[in-house]
Amino acid sequence: MKTSLYVDRGSIVHRLHPTLKIFGLFAAFWSIYWIDNPLTLVPFIVAELVVAAAIGAGENVYRFRWFFLLIVLPTAITWMISYRRGTPIINLWIIKPSLQSILFGLGKGMKVAALVLASVLFLSSTKVEELSVGLSRLGFPYRFGFTITLAFRLVPLFIDSALTVVDAQRLRGYDFDAGGPVERIRRYVPVIIPVFMGALRKANNMAMALEARGFGRSNDPTSFIEYRMHARDAEAFVLLLAMCTLAFILYWTGYGEIPGMRIHS
Amino acid sequence: MKAETSAIAAASLRESAEVAVRVEDLTFSYAGSRAPALRNINLAQRAGEMIGIMGASGAGKSTLAKVLNRIVPEMEGGDLRGVVMLNGRAIANSHVCDLAGEIGMVFQDFEAQLFSTTVAHEVAFAMERVGMPREEILARLDRALDAVGLRGFEHRDPTTLSGGQKQRLAIASVLALRPRLVVLDEPTTDLDPEGRAEVFALIHRMREQGASLIVIEHEAEELRQCDRVVILREGAIIAEGTPATVMPQIELLEECGINAPSLDRVMRVLEIEHHPTSIADAEQHIRKQLPHAAQIANEDFIEENRAVTESKTILEIDSAAFSYPDGPRVLDGMSLKIAAGEFVAIVGQNGSGKTTLAKMSVGLLAPDTGTVMLEGRDRTTLRPAETAREIGYVFQNPDHQIFADTVEAEVKFGPQNFGLAPDEVEARCAEVLHAVGLENERATDPFLLGKGQRQRLAVASVLALRPRLLILDEPTTGLDYREQRKMMKLVSELNASGVAIVMITHTPWLVAEYARRVVLMRAGRKLFDGPVRDFFVQDELLRASSFKPPEVTALSRRFGALALSAEELVEGLRGKPR
Repeated sequence: MKTSLYVDRGSIVHRLHPTLKIFGLFAAFWSIYWIDNPLTLVPFIVAELVVAAAIGAGENVYRFRWFFLLIVLPTAITWMISYRRGTPIINLWIIKPSLQSILFGLGKGMKVAALVLASVLFLSSTKVEELSVGLSRLGFPYRFGFTITLAFRLVPLFIDSALTVVDAQRLRGYDFDAGGPVERIRRYVPVIIPVFMGALRKANNMAMALEARGFGRSNDPTSFIEYRMHARDAEAFVLLLAMCTLAFILYWTGYGEIPGMRIHS
Repeated sequence: MKAETSAIAAASLRESAEVAVRVEDLTFSYAGSRAPALRNINLAQRAGEMIGIMGASGAGKSTLAKVLNRIVPEMEGGDLRGVVMLNGRAIANSHVCDLAGEIGMVFQDFEAQLFSTTVAHEVAFAMERVGMPREEILARLDRALDAVGLRGFEHRDPTTLSGGQKQRLAIASVLALRPRLVVLDEPTTDLDPEGRAEVFALIHRMREQGASLIVIEHEAEELRQCDRVVILREGAIIAEGTPATVMPQIELLEECGINAPSLDRVMRVLEIEHHPTSIADAEQHIRKQLPHAAQIANEDFIEENRAVTESKTILEIDSAAFSYPDGPRVLDGMSLKIAAGEFVAIVGQNGSGKTTLAKMSVGLLAPDTGTVMLEGRDRTTLRPAETAREIGYVFQNPDHQIFADTVEAEVKFGPQNFGLAPDEVEARCAEVLHAVGLENERATDPFLLGKGQRQRLAVASVLALRPRLLILDEPTTGLDYREQRKMMKLVSELNASGVAIVMITHTPWLVAEYARRVVLMRAGRKLFDGPVRDFFVQDELLRASSFKPPEVTALSRRFGALALSAEELVEGLRGKPR
C-alpha cells in the first residue's frame, strides 16, 4: 500500500525552494480564510486544480474524493440548517434555509475542501525532508522539523499495526460493532493497548537507531541536497503575495462575502 | 616523567591501531533490576577481527553491544562498572551520538532504522547529522551504496524495498560514516532466506575488506566464518575461542540455548574429532573414518509416521486469485487442500503470497475469483468470528493480540467472546495453559513475559477456541533455540492430538524436522506441493527460492540419501556395517 502522497516529478512546483513551498501553503490558507462567497472561491479552487494537474497530483486528489465529499457535505448542510439569516425559501420543521444560508453553507464546505486540497498539493510536491529543511530555514528549531518528519514516517506504521490487531481480535470472536456509540469506543481497548505498546517499543528502537547515527550531535546538520533560491522562487513569491493581497482586497471590498450578509463592516 | 607520558601516549597509539575494542571488568545492572545483565566481562578485539556473540535470549548479548556505543547506560540506564575502550580511548564520557563515526550499530528491527523518503537521503542521514560537508557526503554516498549493492536505487522509497534490501540500506547508512567497528545485532532475524543470504554475503565482503565486526546471531552455522566466537550465559562469558574449539562443544552450546551447527553434531555422534568448516569437509572426514559408509539408502531411516495419510479435508482452496486495491496480483490460481491431522509447512520469499493465503483461509480476505471451502461450506458466506472455532490463526507477532492484564484473562478472552459458560471457559483456560507450559503464570502481566512465553500465550489464546486447524505465521521468529524447540514441541503435540497444522516459516531445519508436507510459493503461485523428503531434492526450485536445505540434509545427499536431521543421518551411517 502506498502511504506517502509525494509524487516524484520534476515540475516547477517540485523545484521550488522548500521555504517557498511552505510559504505557498501558508498563502493558500491565508487567501481561503478571507473568502466566504462560494462564487469568489471558485477561481481559487480552479487555480489549485491547475497546480494539481501541473505537479501530477491528479491521482492523489482522486484518492481523497470521498474525504472531500465527507467533509464538504456535512459542513455545508450543518451551516445551511444552523445559520439563520435572510428569508427562508423552504420551511420544513427546523430546516428553514434562506438563499444566504445555502450560499454560506456551501462556501464553508468549499473552504474546508480548498484547505485540504492545498495540503494535498503541498504533500504531493514536497518531500518530508524538504519540509524539515524549510521549517529550519524559517527559524523553527531543527528538532521540531524533524519530529514532524518522523510523524509522517510513523503514522503509516501505526495504521498498519492497528489493522493487524483488529484482524487478530476479530479472529478471537471479538465483535467491534456491538453496543451503542460509547460501548463501541470502549470496545477498541483490545486494539489500543497492543498498538500503543507496539508504538512505545518502535519509538524506543527508533530513538536508539537515531542516536547511533549521530542524531543530536549538531543542532545545525548539513544537507546533501543543496537548496538555493532561484529566480523562479522570487517569481513564485511575488505571485503568492499578489494572491494574498487579492484575497484580502476581495474581503475588504465585500466581494469575498455572501451578498446581503455583510458582517465585517 | 615526560618520557613516561610519551611512552603511555605511544602505547595508546599502538593500542588504537591494533585493538578496536577493549572491555575490562565490565559489570552492568539495569535500573530496577537486581540481577546484573553483564557480569565481569573481559574482551579485546583486534582491528580487522570478526567476533561472533551467541547466547540465549536474556544472556546479555544486546546489552554488551549497546555498552560499546553508550546506548547503555546513556539511554537505557543502570549501574555500570568497568572500563570500555574504543580504538584506544575510554568512552565513559562520550555520548551515543558522538561515537557514531567510530562505531556503527545495525539493529534487528530494520523498519525502525529507516527515517527517510529515498535511499539516497537515508544513506546521507547520518553524514548530515554529524555535519559533514556536502561534497564529502556525495562522494561517500556512491561508495556506501556500491558496498551494499544498492547502486541505482538512489531515488527509491525505502518502504518499497524488500526486507534484505532494507537491512542492507541500514548497513550502508552506517558504513557511510566509515566507522572502525561495525556491530550487527541479530541483523537477519526478521528476514526471509533471500534477505538472510544477502546480508550474510555483505558481512562476508566487509570481513574480507578488513572491517572490525561484531555479529550477534542465534544460528551458530552462520558464525563459522568468525575469527572468534564468544558464548554468553546469564551475563557472563562462559566460553571463548575459535569456531573450531567452541562449536564442537554441543552440550555447552545447547545448555546456553544455542543451535549447535548440525555438521558438528553429526561428527560428535560419530565420534569423529573434527570441526567441519564446510559440507565437503564433513563428507571427507566421515569417509575417512567410516570407509563403509559410501552409500546409504533412504530406507535406512525413513519413519513411517511421516507419510501423508489420506483423511477428511478441512480446508479446500480452489483456483483462488487475489489483488489488493490498486495493487499487483498477490495470489494467482492458488489451490490447496488441507486434511485433518496434517502438518504442512508453507515456504517462499516474503511477498510470495503466504500470509495472504493464510488470511484468505481464515476469512479475513475473500478471493477475487475461485473458492474457499471450509468443511464443504463456502468460506465467503461465513464471518471470521463464526469460524474461529474451526480455524485458528496465530499472527507472527504475539504482541499484535496481547492486551489483557493477566495471562488468564488473555486466554479467556476468546471463549468469553463466544459466550461459553464460565465453567467451560475456566476448564479450557486450565487446559491450554497446561499445554503451553504457562500454568504457573496465570496472574502474571503478559507484558512481563519473555518473547517465547508471549508467543506461547498467543498460541494458547487461539487454542482455547479448540480449532481443528491451526495456522501459525512464523511462530519461531525472534526466539532463541531453546524457545524454538519448546514452541515446536508444543506444535508437534497439538498435531499428535489431532489438530491439523499449517506453519508459515523461513527456517529450513524446522521444515525438515517437523513438517510432513511442504508447499513452496512464489509470486502468488504454488511451485511445489508434496512430501518434505521430495521437497529437499528439488535443487532448481530451492535455488531459485533461495531456500537452503539444512546442512545435514545436503550432507546426506552426498551419501546418496536424504536425511532430515543429524540424528537421522547418523542412524543411516551407523546402519551400515562398518
